Amino acid sequence: MDVGLLVLHGLAVRKAGSAEAVAGVIGIAPGAAVPELAAACGAGHAIEANGTYMLTPPGRAWLDEQYPTACAGLRAHAGFVQAYEAFEVVNTEILDLFTRWQTISVGGAAVPNDHADEDYDYAIIDELGDVHERSLPVLDAFAVGDPRFSIYADRLASAYDRALAGEKEWVSGALVDSYHTVWFELHEDLLRVLGRTRRES
Amino acid sequence: MTAWHLVLDGSEVPSREAVGNKARGIALMRSRGLPVPPAFVIPTHVGRRFVEAGGVLPDEAWSGALAGIRALEAETGRCFGGAEAPLLVSVRSGAAQSMPGMMDTILNLGIGDEVEAALARESGDPAFARDTHRRFLEAYARTVLKARVAVDDASTPAGVRAAALAVAGTPVPADPYEQLRGAIGAVFASWESPRAKAYRKHWEISALGGTAVTVQAMVYGNLDERSGTGVLFTRNPHSGEPEPYGEFLPRGQGEDVVSGEVQPLDLEHLRALLPEVHAALLAAGDVLERDAAEVQDVEFTVERGRLYLLQTRNAKRSPEAALRFAVDLANEGLTAPADAVGAVRAEHIASVLRPVIDPARRAEATLLARGEPACPGVGSGLAVGDADEAERLDREGRPAVLVRRSTSPEDVHGMIASNGVCTEVGGRTSHAAVVSRELGRPCVVGCGEGALLSLIGRVVTIDGATGEVFDGELPTRHLEVHEHPHLAQLVVWAEEHREAIGDDHPLLEIAALRPQEGAR
Repeated sequence: MDVGLLVLHGLAVRKAGSAEAVAGVIGIAPGAAVPELAAACGAGHAIEANGTYMLTPPGRAWLDEQYPTACAGLRAHAGFVQAYEAFEVVNTEILDLFTRWQTISVGGAAVPNDHADEDYDYAIIDELGDVHERSLPVLDAFAVGDPRFSIYADRLASAYDRALAGEKEWVSGALVDSYHTVWFELHEDLLRVLGRTRRES
Repeated sequence: MTAWHLVLDGSEVPSREAVGNKARGIALMRSRGLPVPPAFVIPTHVGRRFVEAGGVLPDEAWSGALAGIRALEAETGRCFGGAEAPLLVSVRSGAAQSMPGMMDTILNLGIGDEVEAALARESGDPAFARDTHRRFLEAYARTVLKARVAVDDASTPAGVRAAALAVAGTPVPADPYEQLRGAIGAVFASWESPRAKAYRKHWEISALGGTAVTVQAMVYGNLDERSGTGVLFTRNPHSGEPEPYGEFLPRGQGEDVVSGEVQPLDLEHLRALLPEVHAALLAAGDVLERDAAEVQDVEFTVERGRLYLLQTRNAKRSPEAALRFAVDLANEGLTAPADAVGAVRAEHIASVLRPVIDPARRAEATLLARGEPACPGVGSGLAVGDADEAERLDREGRPAVLVRRSTSPEDVHGMIASNGVCTEVGGRTSHAAVVSRELGRPCVVGCGEGALLSLIGRVVTIDGATGEVFDGELPTRHLEVHEHPHLAQLVVWAEEHREAIGDDHPLLEIAALRPQEGAR
């Protein structure tokens, strides 16, 4: 993908965000994203309000049309596609983990986890570590297909390190680049690049 | 402590630092005369030596482990690796404080083909013996050899062994003593795992602490009609009532209860079947609750009419129960009022004061959709299909409910701006469910493909506790602090102990919000 397309793709993955946030998703310098976003606004593909960019419906439609050609290489890349299948398997596991992080079972009934039980929380963080370590080869395989995917490994590692250190909102917090937030963005990125749809469970 | 092993018979209660939390807990229970399966520990100083020696178990420690096994054999009358009445053990890590990265517990260690056959004869249940064998092989491969192998009901032990060998390059030992040596080494090595090291570095915990290894005899709840397994809560974890609560599964073994595949019975069935065991269990629960000064959740197994306590820990509880436990334990003198106040979290208060739909109005309301409850709470507003619109309404001070086929990060700002979130597809692990719980937004997911489109533009009320979506704005009511006797008592105590607990305690925040409702 050329930079212009890549920036629109980053905006689609992030859904809405500053030039800095979009640049962070695709791993380019924020300064490089600004002119591309301005050009996209000029072409009617994006709009900007108070420094936050969003795709317009025509921009989204245009972007969707570009994927089959722009991502033909990755879609035909056996290692990348195989890694995606492995990702889906881990995805099911990790979504279940996030649910157990937020909700505990009290004699069969689900109640919110009040995070009072360190043993319970560390056991789940441990599981997250296990999933994280097993995901590393998968993330590496994505980066072999397209080097920009290495940014996800860095962002996931950073969220994991903070969660491991006991900063609990970095497991699934909605307002930070938590493990869940980054994982979900990676998933969204993969679905777009490969032209797949989400398997909702 | 310099011993190479210590039998945990309760004659002494070693420190956390010397033997880890788990082993100390066992020794403590034994010292109180409670029935716990026999166990021994290899202390933390051995773990430190193991690490210093570059991952080599000192000969004296192995001799200690063998002496420990002899002690378990003597107490159980069983034989480790024996072709008759075999002794199987669990092996677990235990440091002075819990941390991520330590090795998972290995159960049923000491099994091979001969032992499997002996276990099948003894239990009269070859499928159980086979499953025990298979589970052990899978667990050993995963935790000691770091090799994941898939196991199902059709797997044979030979097949699991071959798969583990293919992945790991080393086999699961067939000899029970080699299994034990391997597991002990893996526990000690896990102290130096990257995860454990990262955690200690962050918290500046000295690497000198080290982990111990606890080895405990396995007991089985599926050997005859006078056997079973279950869990006791010393008080009801849902309502908080000071009555024992629990489950019992006759002829059941550990995993059966956890898996949820079999419906356990309540504790009255244990009373009917084995009244002395039932009485001993409740008495033990009482001792454990008093020692911990906390409501306990006790896992137990009955083997041939004999009670064993496997694990006790502070019970998980509903928010309602959390408040009642705090008040009752203090009133009974087990804790001080300041401790009771300290146990209360903002989530507990928010949950019991959360508005509910007026029951009379609910009964006559029109149900528009039903899905899976994902985050409790009631939210009303204009149903909108777009996150930006939810935000626009919010800026105008008009309530909105975000209704989507599914949500993604682009919708988070709209979820924040809404009184509730509702989706057509996705379950309790979906993006909408996970994010709503983080944001505390009432949420209903998985109402069905196309089920919500007709809602857009109508005012709706969603109940995230029941998974229902109603037509119109339904009135809600919530308890005032003074209407909730336990919360009211806690607020009084919080005010009395303001200096000890700090001004930002959530109980003081609600006291400040509603001073006229103080519970005097």
